[in-house]
Amino acid sequence: MQLDPHLADATIEALEKAGADKAQCLLKVQDKSEYTVNAGKIDLLRTTENGSMTLTAIVDGKRGTLAQNGLDPDSIARAVDEVIVLAQISQPDEANDIAEGGEAQTFESGPAEPDLAAMYDRIANLLEYSKKHHPRAIYDMLIYDFSSTDLLFRNSNGVDLRERRGLYTVVAMFSSREGAQSSSFNYTVHHAFDADTEVWDRGSFDRLLRENGEQIHTESLEGKFVGDVIFTPDCLDEFLGTITEYLGDRPMITGTSIYKDSIGEPIAFPGLTLHSRPVSDEIAAGYHITRDGTPAQSSTIIDEGRLMTHLLGIYGAKKTGGERAVNDGGCFVVEAGDTQLADMIQGVERGILLGRFSGGHPSDNGDFSGVAKNSFLIEDGRIGKPLSETMLSGNISEMLHSIQALSRERVDFGKGILPWLHTQGLTISGS
Amino acid sequence: MKPAELRSQSHLFDDYTELRVQENRNIGLTMQNGDLSRNARSVQSGVSARVARAGYWGFCSTPEVDSPAMERVVDRASTNAKILAGRSQRAGLHLPSTAGKGDHDLQTEHERRSQKELIDFLRAIDDHILANYPKLSSRVLALNNLDMQKTLLTSEGAEAFSMTPRSLLYLILTIEKDGQPIDLMEAYGGLGQFEDRFGDPSELFEDIARQYEHLENKASGIYAEAGPKTCILDAELAGILAHEAIGHTTEADFVMGGSVAGQFMDKEVASPLVTLVDFAHSALGETCPVPVHVDDEGTEALDCTIIDKGVLRHYMHNKESAGHFESAPTGNARAFLFSDEPLIRMRNTAILPGKSKLEEMIASVEDGYYLMKPGNGQADTTSEFMFAVTQGYEIKNGKLGRGLRNTTISGVAFDLLKTVSMLSDDMVWTGSGMCGKKQPIPVGMGGPAIKCTVSLGGK
Repeated sequence: MQLDPHLADATIEALEKAGADKAQCLLKVQDKSEYTVNAGKIDLLRTTENGSMTLTAIVDGKRGTLAQNGLDPDSIARAVDEVIVLAQISQPDEANDIAEGGEAQTFESGPAEPDLAAMYDRIANLLEYSKKHHPRAIYDMLIYDFSSTDLLFRNSNGVDLRERRGLYTVVAMFSSREGAQSSSFNYTVHHAFDADTEVWDRGSFDRLLRENGEQIHTESLEGKFVGDVIFTPDCLDEFLGTITEYLGDRPMITGTSIYKDSIGEPIAFPGLTLHSRPVSDEIAAGYHITRDGTPAQSSTIIDEGRLMTHLLGIYGAKKTGGERAVNDGGCFVVEAGDTQLADMIQGVERGILLGRFSGGHPSDNGDFSGVAKNSFLIEDGRIGKPLSETMLSGNISEMLHSIQALSRERVDFGKGILPWLHTQGLTISGS
Repeated sequence: MKPAELRSQSHLFDDYTELRVQENRNIGLTMQNGDLSRNARSVQSGVSARVARAGYWGFCSTPEVDSPAMERVVDRASTNAKILAGRSQRAGLHLPSTAGKGDHDLQTEHERRSQKELIDFLRAIDDHILANYPKLSSRVLALNNLDMQKTLLTSEGAEAFSMTPRSLLYLILTIEKDGQPIDLMEAYGGLGQFEDRFGDPSELFEDIARQYEHLENKASGIYAEAGPKTCILDAELAGILAHEAIGHTTEADFVMGGSVAGQFMDKEVASPLVTLVDFAHSALGETCPVPVHVDDEGTEALDCTIIDKGVLRHYMHNKESAGHFESAPTGNARAFLFSDEPLIRMRNTAILPGKSKLEEMIASVEDGYYLMKPGNGQADTTSEFMFAVTQGYEIKNGKLGRGLRNTTISGVAFDLLKTVSMLSDDMVWTGSGMCGKKQPIPVGMGGPAIKCTVSLGGK
């Protein structure tokens, strides 16, 4: 499908004519091609096309939002009428606003069309490679897709931003089996602008497949202890996503964020520097336009342990009196530490190497607990038995302050670049 | 669109083909501390075709819903299957033939309320909370309505229409305790449009009072002691146990992928007290939270008794897995959006009730926990599971004690089910579940309270 920029202008004009004081239109056209592996064979090729628009109208300080994927003139006319009604019945709020206008900009990254033959080869090669090098691996899910997204954001303040991005993504969920025994599943995702590199050479695929094969025969821990935990980059990514949720609009507006008054304050080990880099060349799955229609910029969220920014949108910033963030978060890059991974492991007397965390969403106060999956016991500086039925609990805030080291080695996922992280003081309990 | 309107497209079908027209309509309202921060509607609609040819599947979708678009998606889906067949030879798929028929429109018969009236409904509840619970530090109300409408025509003669609505009100209350926020979320509603699920706002006030009381008990409560404990899992937790811990391991695609349940067919996997069923559309004389009459492959949906009196008896199937296992398809193939292919998904998964009273179950525990509300959950192909628990109480000498802060329970499901020693004689369904497996999908979960041994995460 093709994106028609005139559609956005005409829609904004129609919204203003219909009574909108401020109007916004986000047009998005996306084509996707996807290979899926089932029971070890590439057995589905799925192609989808979609075109959608999200309209926002503000009338007398009241906001309405409508999203639909019909882009024909009749359905757009209906959508314009409907979103005006949504705004009219809403509640006035001085915080309702749209982005200020600026220079028109177009951002382009990645290829426009998929290389379907290369995608097929990469995934077929991965299946062959797995048979040879990870013969016990079974793919519960293996998907290789290419999406081409064309996005246009315009509003009545003159915002005119367009982004075209072509992106390859491979998602694998796998377990390993030997006779009647099988490992816990693990998964990984990698994004790239090309399909040239073999999948096992990307991100953590090869390491996770190897480790998964070592996790077939697990042992449970006995008893409970307070110990060290080394987060793998894969596991760290999920935790960073959770941590930055505390910085977003909802917890800040409702006042429930544990970091509501922490700008400039130390919230973590001084060696931790966390960036959000959605526009960096090193991040394939980035973005150049925020959800509010401002040009995204990279930012530093935690600088040497100090919180530098919340992740407020326009509404959240106006509501709380805080500063609007220059991006929507994600695309995490954590600066490498000065400790070799091997030395980091050697420094642990008793703890675990945490491959995946299957846990409840942390409480507003930062408490969390869950199961350590795809993980190994570390004793006397050496990686020991793979674990099962091992629970982990702690508090996000305390955990960040208790970080001991970050590794020199990092993993590039195409959506973030992360090291191993060593922290202390988490409760580890067995069955 | 009704199936009769699609019938004229059947001439497009050369191979095994499913043609589906689908529209998902959403309403989303969010009120944060009295401010309406979200007032939105959305529609996602389109047509898709899935074709099986020479042992491969091709799929294509487009948002346009007219004859040329239908011709295009069928043609492209067929081409996609051919592309795969051109790269590798494979035996043809053995797909059992089914031709389910149905017309199940659950649109409300009440007069529709406007979105303004829905906002007023939220406002009335928010005003009530503000006036009656001054100790709360924050309150968030979120109303989400989803109408999922599907029309299906297959090359095997299946013709089905369904409109399955779901209306949910999420209420998150937060209280400060020693400078720390403690929250408790409750979901109200379920199957049906807003008018079927909600009446006057005051009808919810009693439930809200109960939610607040549990929140206060949680705020002044304790952390669970880490490790294995005898617990009473209330109905909602039994439901998520049935879904996450057992259900996923018995989805036939996971079985083919190496799930531990692959070795357990016709073996004892649970206490003889346990019977676990994935209901298609009705159970024990009532309509389930997510009724499915004909699935998205055109198979008539039937109940699937997964565990019968402790013995594993069936997996849940789509056509391909049924062909693989030489079993009958169970009608579990479901897609979330028009652009999604059908996957094996649960529908309404429940442990059947027993004969005990909840009170006598609690009285039988000397030192343990009564765990009431689940948060999120995850299960493994090994049947190892984890659920967040957001509401519960300690049990000391057969009596309920202090409230619990958030905790997590985990275990190996097939081991846990062997420890089940009592089941309550009632059954509660929850209709707010959204399961994730490549695509999200609404699911129902149900069960009685169960007494078992389970590991808790704590401090």
